Amino acid sequence: MHVIVATDGSRQSLAAAKHLKSFADPTKVTQVSVVAVVRPLASVAFADDVSGRDYDGSFRDAAQSAVDTIAAVFDGWGPKVNKRIRSGSAANEIIKAAKQYDAGLIVVAAGGGGLSDAVLVGSTAQRVQHYAPCPVLVVRPAPRRKK
Amino acid sequence: MADTATTPRTDADDSGLKRSITGAQLFFYTLGDVLGSGIYVLIGLVAAAVGGAFWIAFAAGVTVAAITGSAYAELVTKYPQAAGSSLYVQKAFGSRPLTFLVTVSFLAASFAATGSLATGFASYFSELWAAPPALLVSLVFVAFLVVVNFIGITESVVMNMLMTFVEVSGLIIIMVIGIWYVAEGKADFGTLGDISVSGNPALAVLAGVALSFFAMTGFENTANVAEETIDPYKAFPRSMIGGMAVAGLVYVLVSMAAALTVPVDTLAESEAALLEVVKAGILPISTDFMTKLFTIIALIAITNTTLVTLVTQPRILYGMAREDVVPGVFARIHATRRSPWVGLLFSGLVVAGLLVTGYAVSAAGGGLDLVNRLATVTVVFLLAIYALVIVTCLKLRGHDEDDRAFRANTPLLVLGLLGNLAILYYAVYDDPHSLWWCAGLLAIGVVLFVVEQVFGSKGTGEKTPDLDDVKGV
Repeated sequence: MHVIVATDGSRQSLAAAKHLKSFADPTKVTQVSVVAVVRPLASVAFADDVSGRDYDGSFRDAAQSAVDTIAAVFDGWGPKVNKRIRSGSAANEIIKAAKQYDAGLIVVAAGGGGLSDAVLVGSTAQRVQHYAPCPVLVVRPAPRRKK
Repeated sequence: MADTATTPRTDADDSGLKRSITGAQLFFYTLGDVLGSGIYVLIGLVAAAVGGAFWIAFAAGVTVAAITGSAYAELVTKYPQAAGSSLYVQKAFGSRPLTFLVTVSFLAASFAATGSLATGFASYFSELWAAPPALLVSLVFVAFLVVVNFIGITESVVMNMLMTFVEVSGLIIIMVIGIWYVAEGKADFGTLGDISVSGNPALAVLAGVALSFFAMTGFENTANVAEETIDPYKAFPRSMIGGMAVAGLVYVLVSMAAALTVPVDTLAESEAALLEVVKAGILPISTDFMTKLFTIIALIAITNTTLVTLVTQPRILYGMAREDVVPGVFARIHATRRSPWVGLLFSGLVVAGLLVTGYAVSAAGGGLDLVNRLATVTVVFLLAIYALVIVTCLKLRGHDEDDRAFRANTPLLVLGLLGNLAILYYAVYDDPHSLWWCAGLLAIGVVLFVVEQVFGSKGTGEKTPDLDDVKGV
C-alpha cells in the first residue's frame, strides 16, 4: 500500500507522521510519499514549524525542510520514502497526488479544534476527507493537559 | 540563498518539485495588479493637472514603470524568491540597516496604497448606495478583505484571472464609448493636444506623471509568485514588460477617450472620473444601467488590487519576524488556516488608522484629499525603491549570472533611473506634506524594531501545539 503523509509544516503534521509509524505495519506499506503543498497566492505560501531551520525568504526551501523532517521520521522503518513538493491549493493537490500514486491511505493533521474550526468551512483536512479516493487518517490534537 | 537561484531545478516528477503558475497566469496577475490601482481613482486629478493632453502623462509614466519592470525582470530571474526588492538590495549592498529601510518602506507603501484604494472604493460605492458615510464603507471594505484573506479565498488563481478580465472589460467599455463618439464625428481632436494649465507645459506633464504614477505601480508584487512560476526565465520578462505595455496602451486609449467625450473640467471635479464618461450617455444603451454596471466593474477592479496589497503586508511582516527584526508574534500562523493572522490583523488596523486619521484631518478643516495624499505617499516610497532597484540591478551585473537570466537594456535602465528620480522630486515638491505621512508610516516599522530589540527573544514565538500534547506520540 502506498501511503501519503501530507505536511503543512505544522507540528501537528509531524505528530501525524509519528502516529502512523506507531501503529502501522511497515511490511504492509510499500511506499510512503511525504507531500507538502506550497500555496503561491497565500500571504505565507508555506510555514515550516518543524525543522527548526531559519526562514531565508524561500517558501520552497521551507517546504523542502519540512518534507525532509517528516521523511526522517520514517528512516529505517522499511518502506521506500519519497519526498514531493507540489504547488497550488493544498486539498486539491493532496487528492491529485493520491490519485496519481494510487494511494491506499492519506494521513493528514487537523488544526486547532477551536472556534474557528467549527465556524469556518473548507479546511484542508475536511476537504481531503470529503473528496479523497481512499481512506483518510485525520490526526487531531489532544485536549491540553494540565501539568 | 544564492545556490537556490543558481542551481538549475528540474520540474520532472521525480525531483518532487512541481510549480503551478503558468506564463499566462503570471501575465494576468501583473496586469490585474497594475490596472486596478489608480486609473479608476486618479484620472480626474491628472486631467486637472495637465488638461486635455493628460494622456501624455500616462504614456510617460508607464514608460518609466516598464523600464523599472525590466530591472525587476532581470533580478527576479536571477533570484526567484518572494522577498523582491529587499532581497535584491541585501544581495547588492549587504547592509542590514539599508535592507531594513527598504523593507519597511515597501511595507509602508503597501499600507498607503491599501488606504488610497479603500477610499477610492468608497467613492465608487456611493454611486450604488449613497447612504452610508464614506469612512464606514472604506473601513468595512478593509475588514471584509482581511477576513477574505484569512479564509484563503484570495488563493484561487481562477478567481484572480476572472477579476482581471472584469477589470479589463471596464476599460474596454470606456474605449468603445470613445470610438463610438469619434465614429459619430463629434470628437474634437484638438483637446488631445491641449495643455491648459498655465506655466511650463513640460512641468505640467511632469505633475501629471507624478499624480498618475500610482496607476503604474503594482507590478513589483509579481515577485510574490516568483518561486512558483513555470519557466520564470521566459515568463517574467514577458509578463513584466508585456503587462506594462498592455497597461500603457489601455491607459493612453482610456485617457484619450475620456478627454474626447467629457469636458476636462468635469473630469477634474469628479470623485469617480471614469464614471463621467459612461454618464455622458454616448452609447445607445440606458445610461442608468451602464452607470450601475460600470460602477460594479470599478469596485471589482479596486478590490482585486487591494487584495494583493493585503496579501503582501502580512508576508513582509512574517519574513521580518522570522529574521527577528520585528516581534515574533507576526510569525504566528493560525493552526487550521495556516495564515499569518496576527500580521493580517495588524495590517488591517494600520490601514484603518490611516483612514481614520485622514478623515479626522479633513474634518478638522485640513482640506485633505485622502485618495490623492495616500497615493502620493505610496508613489514617494515606491519611486525611491524603484530607483534603488535599478541601481541594484546594475550593481549586481556580473554576479550570479545565468545564461537563461533576462538582461535588461542598460541605457534604458539609466533613463529609467533618471525618470524615477525626476518624478520622485516632483511628487515631493508638489505635496511636501506627504512626507509627514511617510515619516509616520516609517515610524511604525521603527517602533516594531525597537519593541523586538527591547522585549523580543531570539527565535520565533510559539510552537503549536506541544508534541507532548498530541495523542499517540
